Amino acid sequence: MTSSPDATIAVHSLWKVFGPKADTVVGTDLAELSRADLLAQTGCVAAVRDVSFDVAPGEVFVVMGLSGSGKSTLVRCLTRLIEPTSGSVLLDGEDIAQASPKRLRELRRTKFSMVFQHFGLLPHRRVIDNIAYSLEINGVGREARHARAREVIELVGLTGYDQHYPEQLSGGMQQRVGLARALAVDPEVMFLDEPFSALDPLIRRDMQAEVMRLHRDLGKTMVFITHDLAEAMKVGDRIAIMRDGAVVQVGTAEDLVARPVDDYVADFTRDIPRSHVLTLQAIARPVRGDDDLTGPRLPGTTIVRDAARAILDSQHPVQVVSGDDVVGVVTKDEVLRLISADDPA
Amino acid sequence: MSAPVLEEAPAPPAPRERWSLHRVFSSKASWVLVVLAVWIILGSILSGIHTLTLATAAQSPFTSWLTEVASAIRGNRTESVAFVYFFNPVRGGIEGFIEVIRSVIAVPGAGDVIPVIGWLGVIAIVGFVVFATSNWRTSLLCMALLFACGALGVWSDTMDTLAMTLGSVALSLAIGLPLGIWAGLSDRALAVMRPALDLAQILPTLVYLAPLALVFLIGVASATIATMVYSIPICVRLTSHAIRELRGSGALEAARSMGSTRWQMLRKVELPMAKRTIILGVNQTTLAALSFVVIAALIAAPGLGKPIVTALTIRNVGDGVVAGLAVVFLAIMLDRATTAAVVRSDTILSDEGRVRRRIALAVAAVAAVAAIILSRQVLWAAVFPPALVIGEPVGAAADAATEWFTSTFSWLTTGVAEFLTVWVLNPLESLLVNSPWWLTVVAISLIGLLIGGRVVGVVTVVLLTAIVVIGLWSDAMATFAQVLMATAFTMIVGVVLGVLAGRSAKVERALKPILDAGQTLPAFVYLVPVLALFGPTRFAAIVCGVFYAAPVVVRVVADGVRGVSSDMVESATAQGSSSWQIIRKVQLPASSKSLMLAVNQGLIFVLAVVVIGGLVGGGGLGYLVLVGQSKPELAGKGLAAGLAIVLLGVVLDRIAQSSARRRS
Repeated sequence: MTSSPDATIAVHSLWKVFGPKADTVVGTDLAELSRADLLAQTGCVAAVRDVSFDVAPGEVFVVMGLSGSGKSTLVRCLTRLIEPTSGSVLLDGEDIAQASPKRLRELRRTKFSMVFQHFGLLPHRRVIDNIAYSLEINGVGREARHARAREVIELVGLTGYDQHYPEQLSGGMQQRVGLARALAVDPEVMFLDEPFSALDPLIRRDMQAEVMRLHRDLGKTMVFITHDLAEAMKVGDRIAIMRDGAVVQVGTAEDLVARPVDDYVADFTRDIPRSHVLTLQAIARPVRGDDDLTGPRLPGTTIVRDAARAILDSQHPVQVVSGDDVVGVVTKDEVLRLISADDPA
Repeated sequence: MSAPVLEEAPAPPAPRERWSLHRVFSSKASWVLVVLAVWIILGSILSGIHTLTLATAAQSPFTSWLTEVASAIRGNRTESVAFVYFFNPVRGGIEGFIEVIRSVIAVPGAGDVIPVIGWLGVIAIVGFVVFATSNWRTSLLCMALLFACGALGVWSDTMDTLAMTLGSVALSLAIGLPLGIWAGLSDRALAVMRPALDLAQILPTLVYLAPLALVFLIGVASATIATMVYSIPICVRLTSHAIRELRGSGALEAARSMGSTRWQMLRKVELPMAKRTIILGVNQTTLAALSFVVIAALIAAPGLGKPIVTALTIRNVGDGVVAGLAVVFLAIMLDRATTAAVVRSDTILSDEGRVRRRIALAVAAVAAVAAIILSRQVLWAAVFPPALVIGEPVGAAADAATEWFTSTFSWLTTGVAEFLTVWVLNPLESLLVNSPWWLTVVAISLIGLLIGGRVVGVVTVVLLTAIVVIGLWSDAMATFAQVLMATAFTMIVGVVLGVLAGRSAKVERALKPILDAGQTLPAFVYLVPVLALFGPTRFAAIVCGVFYAAPVVVRVVADGVRGVSSDMVESATAQGSSSWQIIRKVQLPASSKSLMLAVNQGLIFVLAVVVIGGLVGGGGLGYLVLVGQSKPELAGKGLAAGLAIVLLGVVLDRIAQSSARRRS
């Protein structure tokens, strides 16, 4: 994969091997072995195997995988909480993997920030001082950092809680503190490591909406780790599916559902309602001579679910357009077939 | 490197051999029994041959060489470079430091009648400091306890002990905290310190004294240094643990992800988060220091230990009880003050609460200053008023109570003691002492080999042979017999109470104050009542050991039993097991690791006290250490006895620990 020059993050051939003599694996025949064989032969575990991807500016890029797939190790390699074994992680063209300790600290303090599954708040500090921590260690004065902290407290909807200690807050609110802390330095990129996995389903839904709102308002580039495919499809512009340390497929939700590269991905996406993901383009049939072209026109990028009402209400086939061109038509038949396929029972 | 991420499943662990009572009894245990049987039979046939007995006043080649070394060191104190430029200045510095504290609260300066601050002032300062670090309830308790020490008529001794303890704790923390933090942060630092820390844990207190006194003279300096040697490892261990238990915590990772420097991590994240455990370490360090300062009376440390030693040697129960009570009060005071500080460090005050507290602190400070000034101006506030002293009646009452108890319950104090001595201790001792030395060495080493494996077997042979070479074989075996018997009793008491406490919260609550007291009180204090009840016998030493070690064993066993997963117990109950079956087939086997740890701890604690029992007629190595202390011509023998105690301790520790390791 060649990285586009304007990507915010470009990850290239990233490896992380745990175990004795981990650095002798990459670039040799050993790298070709499966995880189990590698472990048996060398005692090493390849947690991240030759991962490459780009993240465009302002994009929400989701890394999704089951536990053990290496996604948490991957995000820690990107931020170098874990040292990658080899490969590069370019952030605006600068290789994080090669940054000196001092430069790495600078990057962490200004350019990117992280949100953790278990929040990682400092129990001995009040909410406001938790949020102001990264400003504090960067030498920002008390007044200035508290003012900034109050701004982000308002942004994440925690107004009035700035003097509380973390243990006095619910899990959802603690993660709001985690979000506020990550936003405090106004980073370019945010890494979110399963940020909502430890929360109740209802709270999780609120927080997903919250993150999408923040993303809309602030336009941060995000790398979002999750094990929940529904969450991945909800928040992600593009999704990378990981298995045994390697990326199996990168694509939009529609790509994964409509064009899975292998059975693993297909199996994964089986339970996702097609109508929630597929666009009109994907289900449109070519225009035939006998089609009545007086029905409404809809853009091909519309999700089927959102167009269903209009299609079912229309007497005539709906014309699917790309720009000004009609690329196909969709009728009740296609929609009903898709919806009934979603519900095999 | 950073903590492993859970997701990266490590290699599946190789199937471990499960330990069951069954298997051990079918193989190893039966061999141990065979060895024991052969030992007993051969021992009784060959009884009295090659026993290597040495009269108290007699010397072996090694001990007479040590005596010469000791006298050479004594002669060199003013000349040798090491002394002139190192040991003597260290001694002077520490002595000076402690004397400053003593002159403030304990001893009148030259030409003065009272110390700088009189009793009222001291109580006020303690009250204020405890209030500031914890709360007013604890503060009142501490003031009351100090007052009680005065009322017992031992104010000045109490102040000496307090001054020595505070001084030693200050020095211990100054060294122990940084070392502990370092060991907490760096695996390499911990690896370097670990052998010293491990050794310190098994060294009985008694053996520090003689070598230090030889180098630093008897008195304040060597008592302080010995106390530091004893308490610094505790401080290092707990501080390092406090830092280490944070590893893998999300907060640390988050702080790192935000670009904290090492120093910022330590100052703003790790130390604040570890504060609670570190204060707990300070608590343990303080109590250890107090208990050692009392024992250090054996090398002429001033304070409450002195009347206790005197009382023990001349069997004056009343005086011993009075001084012992003062030690107990002091221990409770120091313990409460430091544990309350742990709680305080956790509390979160509202803004209003903070203002109120500040006002209260200011008022308390003014009151304390007033009390200090008063204690320098007015006689009744300077010298504890004799009218309030009730020490003598307390002592007399203790004497009378002892008299009544021993005469009323003589079946217990002499009957049971006699019975156990004749039927358990004597046969055991005769097996160990009267068998030929080579038979005993071979037998114990074989048992070590069977229980602990090849390495332990070899270590046992080497160390026991070393005791033979030292020339104190027979005394070492006498001590060994007492240790074994005391440990056996400790385990019986400990396992029974521990299982009960582990199974029932009610029992645990009932036992807690006793266990707390047992872990807080200096070992020396037990000797007084035990001596009063059982007289100067080997049995008294054994009872002391049991009293001292049982609380630890109970705790460890109870923790182990409680740690057995409730699923296991529930499923066993659902299958219809009786309580006894659950204990025997589920809870004890599942907590076998704790049981082994309990044996190990029990042995070490028992050894520490049994040798002190030499002071009250226990004989053996402990007695030789004390003799060496008082008679310069036998100094080498005392030092050698200390060495033999260490060797014995290492043998016991290795055997117990390796068996625990093999079973986990």
